[in-house]
Amino acid sequence: VSLGVLVMASGLVAVLATRPPATVDEVYSPLVGKPVPAVAGTTLDGSRYSLPSPPGRYTVVNFFASWCGPCQQEGTELVKFQYEHQQSGDASMLSVVFDDNASSARAYQATLGATWPTLSDPGGRLAVAFGVRAPPSTFVVAPDGRVVAFLVAPVTAADLDHIVARAEASRA
Amino acid sequence: VSKRRFPLWTLLAVALVVALVVGSGVLSSSPPTPAQRAYAIESVLRCPSCEDLSVADSTAPTAVAVRATVRQLLAEGRTDQQIETYLEARYGSTIVLDPPAHGWPLLVWLLPLVGGGVAVAALGTFLFRRRSGAVPGPDLDRPGYRPGREQLEERRDFLVRSLADADAEYLAGDLAPDDYLALRQRDLRLLRAVEAELDGAPAPAPAAATGPAPGHPIQSSAAGHATQPSVAGEPDPAPGASNPGGRDLAPDPIPTDPPIGSDARPAARSGRRRWLLRGAAASFAAALIVAVSLFASNRLPGQTATGTVSATQSQQLAQTLDEAATLENQGQVGRAAQLYQSVLTGHPGNEVALAQLGWLEYQTGRSGNSASLMDDGEAKLERAAGLDPGDYAASLYLGTVLLQRDTNPAGAVGQFQRFLADDPPAALVQQAAPVMRQAYQQAGVPVPAQLAG
Repeated sequence: VSLGVLVMASGLVAVLATRPPATVDEVYSPLVGKPVPAVAGTTLDGSRYSLPSPPGRYTVVNFFASWCGPCQQEGTELVKFQYEHQQSGDASMLSVVFDDNASSARAYQATLGATWPTLSDPGGRLAVAFGVRAPPSTFVVAPDGRVVAFLVAPVTAADLDHIVARAEASRA
Repeated sequence: VSKRRFPLWTLLAVALVVALVVGSGVLSSSPPTPAQRAYAIESVLRCPSCEDLSVADSTAPTAVAVRATVRQLLAEGRTDQQIETYLEARYGSTIVLDPPAHGWPLLVWLLPLVGGGVAVAALGTFLFRRRSGAVPGPDLDRPGYRPGREQLEERRDFLVRSLADADAEYLAGDLAPDDYLALRQRDLRLLRAVEAELDGAPAPAPAAATGPAPGHPIQSSAAGHATQPSVAGEPDPAPGASNPGGRDLAPDPIPTDPPIGSDARPAARSGRRRWLLRGAAASFAAALIVAVSLFASNRLPGQTATGTVSATQSQQLAQTLDEAATLENQGQVGRAAQLYQSVLTGHPGNEVALAQLGWLEYQTGRSGNSASLMDDGEAKLERAAGLDPGDYAASLYLGTVLLQRDTNPAGAVGQFQRFLADDPPAALVQQAAPVMRQAYQQAGVPVPAQLAG
């Protein structure tokens, strides 16, 4: 019995030790592996925006609200991710307001220093198209337009880099 | 002249079928309006951000958005199934309240049907046996019929078991003395007849030559079950009351009586049949429980079984606020804030939602260093306190904000005095006492005795 317990414990340790760190809180979405839904609308500054099809680079679509604590937690990480990929141009950010008024969302993004397009989503049309239940919800879209990941917890720049690297590896 | 009676259960079955057909609406000739179609679809969809609440019944922003999408897709000419498929492709199968009718969840649908079928079959078998007579096998009394030795032995064994069952039931008090004696007399008579037939039947093959086991009652006259029993020699079944009712218990020479099963009470004596009945009843009950829980699980308080929501608006409001408070206590601040916001969308003057959402916003803004969020929160708290000065929660929250953010201890003390005057729970007073003491001391106001620590 002792030997059996020892073998099982060793196996468990080996499995856990060889797994990637559980920092990425990915969850199931039927959209993963499927083409990204059409994204088009008006940004908070009043201009029109539509996500190219295919996007041609990794695009992080982030649904947020100014009243959402976890969104504020991940806000600086999104800025960091955008900054790190701005030069190479291999990835970009796109935010969508979730159940929030435009002025609050605009003020929040300005405080954060978010310079990427932020779509207002009156009526929640985009939220339904992506199957979003609550903020923050983050989708990573590959250059070919497929959704490669869906995350609901506050993300970090490292999480997003990890997902991009994984998607790149699977393409190769 | 035999008069054929129309059984009551047939009438009940017909009434049930008619009710189901009428209730299902298949006889309705007019097609549903778009609004009816939309409501029907929304009723089977789960609100994406709620717990077991349909899109039709929820006021959450996500439910409102799904409702708008449903109506837009209907206007585009999509079928009901296409709309469900569209939403399942985004939210997953959990967007539908009922479990899907494929894969493993199919079991949820099949089990009640299978359980109900088994129960009905078992009940039917039981009733058929009871009606056609308790003795299995061919009808030995049929004129001209010559049963084989195996059939006779089978029937003999059955009768022996039946006698033993009757003994056990009588001793357990489950059988009245009259019934017990009648049964015993009948079974013994049948047993003698079978024994007589066995004496005249051709000898079986050696391998099949099986008689009663050693100690079998039929072989042991000491056990009271002699091959040619005399009821007068039986032990008195009812001590102190021999031959109850003055019946003639002398056995008839030929089993010409109607089957035992013609009497309902004696028919229940077979232990095997009793277990069959219990099993059928248990299966039926299990199927009923599963079916009822399936159909009842998604009902709201006040909602009838037909799906009509009869809960008042205030009941729904209270339910949403309760749900939000639960989420807040569980640390799901984002979802709680969503629910408070949804309440305010429909009821902008709800002071409870204003106070709770204001406090959440203030706390979130404070931890995230967001001045705008703290502004929003404070504004909501001021509004809540203005709407209902007697709301102790709003007073407590606003007082704390005035002290912490606005460094206005005098204003904070004013709010705390309102809070204390509204007879708040002692635990809450104790929890907030340090902050309140600080406000009183900074404002130079004597600290009330109830805050003395």
